Amino acid sequence: MATINRPFGVRRPIPAPHVRLPGINGWVLAGIVVVGIGAMLPVLQNSLATSQGFDVQRMQAEQARLNGDIQLMEADVARLSSLDRIQRRAVQIGLIPGDDPIFVQVSEPGPAPAKIPSEYLPGPVPNPDSPDSWWRSLLRWVSLRP
Amino acid sequence: MAHQRAHGTRRVWLPAGLLGAFALLVFGRLVQLQVLQHDRYAELANQELISDNTIYAARGSILDRNGNVLAASVDTWDVYVSTRAWKDPAKAGVAAKALAKALNTDVAAIQAKVTGRTGDVIITRDLEYEAGKSLATLNLDGVVLMPNTARVYPEGDLAASVLGFIGQDNTGLAGIEAAENDILQGKPGKAVYERDTVGEPIPLGRYVVDQPQAGRDVVLTIDRYLQQLAEERLAQGMKEHNARGGSITIMDPMTGEILASASQPSFSYSTLDLSDPKQTEFFKNASVANMYEPGSVMKIVTAAAAIDQGLVTPDTTYVDTGVASIYGIELRNWSGEVWGKQTMTGVLQHSINTGAVFMVEKLGQEKFHRYLDAFGFGKPTGIELQGEATGVIRTPDKNWDPPWSPVDLATQAFGQSISVTPIQMISAIAAAINGGNLMRPHLVKATIAADGTRNEIQPEIVDRAISEATSATIRKMMNAVVDPVGGYNPGKPQEYTAGGKSGTANVAIPNGYDDTQIASFVGFAPLDNPRILVLVKLDENQDFLTGTQAAGPIFSKLADDSLHYLNVLPDAPKRVSR
Repeated sequence: MATINRPFGVRRPIPAPHVRLPGINGWVLAGIVVVGIGAMLPVLQNSLATSQGFDVQRMQAEQARLNGDIQLMEADVARLSSLDRIQRRAVQIGLIPGDDPIFVQVSEPGPAPAKIPSEYLPGPVPNPDSPDSWWRSLLRWVSLRP
Repeated sequence: MAHQRAHGTRRVWLPAGLLGAFALLVFGRLVQLQVLQHDRYAELANQELISDNTIYAARGSILDRNGNVLAASVDTWDVYVSTRAWKDPAKAGVAAKALAKALNTDVAAIQAKVTGRTGDVIITRDLEYEAGKSLATLNLDGVVLMPNTARVYPEGDLAASVLGFIGQDNTGLAGIEAAENDILQGKPGKAVYERDTVGEPIPLGRYVVDQPQAGRDVVLTIDRYLQQLAEERLAQGMKEHNARGGSITIMDPMTGEILASASQPSFSYSTLDLSDPKQTEFFKNASVANMYEPGSVMKIVTAAAAIDQGLVTPDTTYVDTGVASIYGIELRNWSGEVWGKQTMTGVLQHSINTGAVFMVEKLGQEKFHRYLDAFGFGKPTGIELQGEATGVIRTPDKNWDPPWSPVDLATQAFGQSISVTPIQMISAIAAAINGGNLMRPHLVKATIAADGTRNEIQPEIVDRAISEATSATIRKMMNAVVDPVGGYNPGKPQEYTAGGKSGTANVAIPNGYDDTQIASFVGFAPLDNPRILVLVKLDENQDFLTGTQAAGPIFSKLADDSLHYLNVLPDAPKRVSR
């Protein structure tokens, strides 16, 4: 028969349970985070690219629309400043064609010319000190120009 | 219990072998499809998935010399229907109805265009920009709008024969539109995109754009006001003299810039129909493509050559008997008059044919033809318009039918047996009065890039025709024509000194001349510093008035009005208030 080889009432001290928690290694955790971020990054990039792609397409459409509007406005301006339209408008406001103009020589400079976009104006007058273009030199050589 | 090692039997190896062979077959096929024929199948897949569209570049504008727009492009839309998206009759019906309403057309007309077709079918071209934007908001099934551009001409038909026109593919077909097409057209771009099962672009699919490069603007030497003036005066002159056609060209004789070029018959943009064979003549500009015998205007060239060679002076005299006999052929004055003793100035004033023969006989054939070459006859001037005629000069070194004879030389002296274009004639006269330089006539003054960079086209001297002294002499002789002492010439401007010469010549036909005539007048003003040179030509005027009578008054009024506009001070002192 088996006996209990200890005094009655004396309890053997029960050792505290030794719970061995798995070791949370910082490196492992960092690795998980890196992997997680690495996995999320393409998703985020894709999302960002998609969003920006939409923006680019929207802006391209907007640019095309504005270009179209600009062309329409330029065409409208051209139509409104056409000779035919100016003449009709002049008649509407009671102007009549000039007849036999009298030329008067004055020492004052004439009125400033009508303003038109600079890109449509003739190029700057060359500085007299600077060398002339070849054709001006040629014209001068044959005494066509002073 | 002892395990017995399994021995291969036919029951094992045969299926294994067959399966292995099959696996090899599949593997080989995969290698063939995915490795060896990769490019081909990738291309086929792309064809199914990828679509592309041409993006037209904005065509450059055409401006007059002061920056006023003569031709410009505006955005439009080409409307297509995807037949794949319209396979469902119910959807197609709804979309067709809405599309027809938006385009203001019949449903049946749209369905007729789509029925039996595959792919994308064009429904309409150049839909107005605003209308296209409204249509796009409807978001109709299978309706695709592609951007395009259309040409607008804010000045209407002004300078139409110079500007020309473009075709459906935005390529110039005539006039400056064709001649400067490479500059105006720019470089088209391309959009490549992935499409879905009904052919619509996938929003987030691959999208590659080769951006178009906008064309450059072309600045012409034409002045729109002078152009309008020239066209009005030509129309009036043709009506007054019942002429079949004609032309007026205004040039700056010093630079060769064409300030205005009007010609009739011409076309109207609103009625232009390229499918009409009768309208093919509009592809050419009459001033550069049509030849005529200039008549007595050529006497200026004959006189210039003879004076330049020192063979005659304005005061050299000869006796006109009313007829010049060349190898038995009698050449008479146009009016039949006998003028007696005349100076060379008188020869031009009275337009005496025998006087011109007198000068050309002194010159001789070789020298005279050398001067014709120096004045630019018999070869293209190089103006920017296409289809330029070279002209015809009968010379002894070529085989002609009938053969060349000395009579040809004599008649060439007064503008017959020689065919020229109006642009050749005015360029030659410009050389005669501008100091002796043959300038290349040109219509393009500058080009402007999209970034505003302006490239000026410089005047070009082609040849030295005569000396400056001879040129000054010719100016005085031409002045004596329009302003004779004690006489009157309808070609004299009221407020400016000027010079000029008329020409009246029968229309040449094979082996002879027609009863019809061409009346012309060439003149310049002011006398000392010519600002404009004008050639007025009336074709087949039914009243048979001479060049002086019919074209002279047109020049005189045109010169006064043009020089007023150009702010040139009248050199008739009584008109100036100080």
